Amino acid sequence: MSADIPSGVRLRLPGGFNLPPFGMHQVLALGIVAVALWAMGLIGLGVQMVGQWVGNWQDEIRIHVYLDNSAAARSDKLQQALTGIPGVTGVQVISPDEALAWMHRWLQGTGINDATLAKRLPISFEVSFGEHAGKFLFRDIRDVAQKFGASVNQEEVSLARAHDWLQNLRSLAWFVEGVMALAMALIIANTLRITLIGRAEELHLMRLMGATEWFVRMPFLLEGVLLGLVAGVLAWAMQWPLLWGLGGWLHMLAVQPHLGVLLPVLALGGAVTGFVGAVVATMRRVSPDLVDY
Amino acid sequence: MSEVPLQVEMEQLMLRYPTGKVAVSGISLDIAKGQFVYLIGESGAGKSSLMRMLYGGVRPSSGVLKVEQTDMRSAAASRVRQLRRRIGVIFQDHKLLFSRTVFENVALPLRVQGWKRDRLVPRVQKVLEFVGLGDRLWSYPETLSGGEQQRVAIARAMSANPPMILADEPTGNLDIDTAHRVLDYLMGLNALGTTVIMATHDLQLLESYPGRVIQLHHGGLASDSHAGRRHVG
Repeated sequence: MSADIPSGVRLRLPGGFNLPPFGMHQVLALGIVAVALWAMGLIGLGVQMVGQWVGNWQDEIRIHVYLDNSAAARSDKLQQALTGIPGVTGVQVISPDEALAWMHRWLQGTGINDATLAKRLPISFEVSFGEHAGKFLFRDIRDVAQKFGASVNQEEVSLARAHDWLQNLRSLAWFVEGVMALAMALIIANTLRITLIGRAEELHLMRLMGATEWFVRMPFLLEGVLLGLVAGVLAWAMQWPLLWGLGGWLHMLAVQPHLGVLLPVLALGGAVTGFVGAVVATMRRVSPDLVDY
Repeated sequence: MSEVPLQVEMEQLMLRYPTGKVAVSGISLDIAKGQFVYLIGESGAGKSSLMRMLYGGVRPSSGVLKVEQTDMRSAAASRVRQLRRRIGVIFQDHKLLFSRTVFENVALPLRVQGWKRDRLVPRVQKVLEFVGLGDRLWSYPETLSGGEQQRVAIARAMSANPPMILADEPTGNLDIDTAHRVLDYLMGLNALGTTVIMATHDLQLLESYPGRVIQLHHGGLASDSHAGRRHVG
């Protein structure tokens, strides 16, 4: 047979496991789908990095409770009471030596006698808590501190509350990511559907000639899957320049985006949405002359 | 009364579209194998609707329509698919795929029937030679003239050697010389034993290429040049 086919002519048989011809419509669809998936990937990376940043910050959050030296007799009971608060994971007493070392570092080069100041420092308790601080945690700490005549570092409380809000924002970001993913999936499916509807004539003709449904649909399902898959890989590749550009800033925030995780997600997501788009596009509705059978 | 088996049987055939429009009403006639039949009538007379019923594009609303012994009112989808493989259809706008080569267009019915690659090229070459386009195998339809495109459509319809060809206004967009060439090919196929049913407005062709003439009017049968002659199935 090959002797009958001139060189340079590629035989593209219609139907079955044969891809339809690749043309301008497919190039455009590939571009649109790749950009849509890129946007999804970017949001995913954003959520991932915010999570890391908030997580890093969370490790640093502590609440300090101060008890005047004159009330040192109550310090053990205060420590017990603070430890007993639900949500508190540890209460550490800062020793005068530790306080002095910290003061020394802080006031270095100012000419102030830090040893004198250190003697005036109150007894300090460092209260640490888990990721999900209870609604009344900070109020409980304040109440316990007041009961023993101690005081709470209000700035740290405000910071911890801000962290809680950030946690809520992170949940919201996941929700937004979900909604965006759905919107992108619809855009991708619709783009493929429009591309394939351009081939409605071919679908219609094959049905008219008595082709089975799988024979008619298979090339278009393959095209949808392949288009989504390639667009997913392209979208993944397009994340790199942005990350390289933001490298210094990300380093400063101590976040390390895991781009590798994104490759299978985008490629598989693209392929699945491509498949769905192709299924919709090849439904029998596109052959209105033959809907009766 | 001849002994030629029947290809199409109609008895009080009626088609009503969901819109309520009655496209075909009360048609009773038989078409024997090997006949060349013209369907004539004004626009909206029911020619295209009758064609659609013949290839299983739409189910009759009432009456009887049997195509190759298949009852088109009750046939399962799989049976209709099998029947479509035995019918070649030619359209006025030829419905060629412009993103595919002439070869790919003509090979379409053969692929649907599961022909393998090694048999496709010789077969397509043969049918294209029959319509005088043996050298245009690898061209794209847009590089062909209107007449050549219609000949490709004829080649596609005959490529799987169907026993029946339905041609819906195949000469509608062609000049008189090209229309005559198209008719030559259809007559040639008919001479080989293929039943040809052709809807047309062009009454001049009927004089040059005689055949059975069925005239429709407002969805009903107005006249039939073979009226009264019944064939045995």
